[in-house]
Amino acid sequence: MPESRDSRPVSLAARAKAGAARSAAGVTACRVRLTARLKTLRPPEVFPARARVGPLREGAFRGRLHDARTAVSLGRLAGTALAICFVTGLVSHYLQQPPSWAVNVLPSRPVWGYRLTQGLHVATGIAAIPLVLAKLWTVYPRLFAWPPLKSVTHALERLSIAVLVAATLLQLATGLLNTVQWYPWSWNFRQTHWALAWVEVGALALHIAVKAPVIAAHWGRRSPGTLRLPAADRPDRRAFLATVGAAVGAVTVTTVGQSFTPLKDTDVLAPRHPDHGPQHLPVNRTAAAAGITRQLLTAYRLTVRGPRSYELTLDQLAAMPQRSAVLPIACVEGWSKNAHWSGVRFRDLLDRAGAPHGATIRVVSLQRGGAYSVMEMGADYARDPLTLLALSLNGSPLSLDHGYPARVIAPNRPGVLQTKWVGMLEVMV
Amino acid sequence: MTARWILRYGLGAAGLAALAFGVTTLLTDPQVGDWQGVVEWLAFAVVLHDGVLVPAVLLSGLALGARLRRRLRWVFVVAGSLTAVALPVLLRPGAPANPSVLPLDYQRGWAVSVSAAVGLALCWAAGRRALGRMRGGGGRIASGYARMRRGRTRGSGPS
Repeated sequence: MPESRDSRPVSLAARAKAGAARSAAGVTACRVRLTARLKTLRPPEVFPARARVGPLREGAFRGRLHDARTAVSLGRLAGTALAICFVTGLVSHYLQQPPSWAVNVLPSRPVWGYRLTQGLHVATGIAAIPLVLAKLWTVYPRLFAWPPLKSVTHALERLSIAVLVAATLLQLATGLLNTVQWYPWSWNFRQTHWALAWVEVGALALHIAVKAPVIAAHWGRRSPGTLRLPAADRPDRRAFLATVGAAVGAVTVTTVGQSFTPLKDTDVLAPRHPDHGPQHLPVNRTAAAAGITRQLLTAYRLTVRGPRSYELTLDQLAAMPQRSAVLPIACVEGWSKNAHWSGVRFRDLLDRAGAPHGATIRVVSLQRGGAYSVMEMGADYARDPLTLLALSLNGSPLSLDHGYPARVIAPNRPGVLQTKWVGMLEVMV
Repeated sequence: MTARWILRYGLGAAGLAALAFGVTTLLTDPQVGDWQGVVEWLAFAVVLHDGVLVPAVLLSGLALGARLRRRLRWVFVVAGSLTAVALPVLLRPGAPANPSVLPLDYQRGWAVSVSAAVGLALCWAAGRRALGRMRGGGGRIASGYARMRRGRTRGSGPS
């Protein structure tokens, strides 16, 4: 708006009006100038060009394959692995610590359910290690993007990526350490793994949403973004992806035998091996660790509390009808193995006590302390014809470490809930 | 509002909700025990990865040069991954809880698996070379193979 330089005498009202217009025009012009100046000046003022040194320089990363197509190809594999880890982790969490409303809802079938989900959880976690490291290597130059921060949204996006990277690295590392029972930290592993799983999967979903246009543009070989990349990189990229695939194969083949027994011969790096353990079955908590001795068990009695409570000696238990079942022990640490069990059917013991069919059962171990010395079992498990109070394993009486004289073995349950050294069953009302 | 828009923003919102739930659980659940410790370890993980591991990998790649890098990448990535996964079983201090925990000879397992990876890479390279030489003498097939090789040679094999 042009400023008037009128010097003719005018009315007071007109002069006031012109003054107001002049000042408004002045403010507008000022704002325009300021905005223009801010636009040109802001980035250099906050991030001066002389600060752009080392890896921050333009073209500091001359190596190939730090492109969006490689990132998308690796990212979808790593993302899938992390998603499998998350879902199987949820299954494990709820099977191991069911909220009270879920106790009687959890299904006892399929028999191999927990063996599959937890085996997958650990195997995909291990497979994710090369995938995540390769993905992060590919996008590493973006850590030094210039200017470091462009806007509040940009800052939040970078923060969410930092959270995603930190949570993913810590989940993979601590999960792996947990499988070898190594805890060099001060917090509770299980609850932290649970909380960080939500942090990680949330940051991952947010990351996918933010990057959706880039992902779409580089999804396929003929996607528009992919076609804009140098064609010369294509064979190199294929070779790199094949290499990462080989690394995934290598870490899988050398560890998965701890749960997938046909590959037990190539299990050379897993913390467990199916052939090692008393009675050909690995053990977690030993009798010694649980404070159980032969002497303590000399006067063994099984107590069943219910509408018609009773007690049984080991001989009386052995005189009841014996059933056999092939059921796996599947540990939260990822290892698992099928075994032949025989003993008294759980539902026979409960019927003898006059337990109602829908009742939850509390199982109390003779072990000293430990978070799982008392276990609750939903009706679906307690009534399953395969659920046993087992007295023998693979054809011989239970060894002390496997829970002599009697232990629980139920289908589709985490190993810690297969209570050993059972002293009492209690029908809950 | 297209379906794609709804999917994208829905995913973002779900992500934020999960993130908020996770952070709240981490900070407020007494069972976590020591959330400050968790935050320290999170920061440590990023610093170790971004400040030590990746720079070391990039600098060693730089030192090798492009040609050698392409030839040795397979061995480095596979052997490096095997080593990363083996670190806990190799380094865990203290006696295991019972003989069925860490029952194997892991130094041997690591050496065997890494040697197998290197061996496979050598066999692959030798096989490719032999195949190239075998077909090198003939006319059209050979030139076709050579063309194929020129197109793919920048690392399609683990050599």
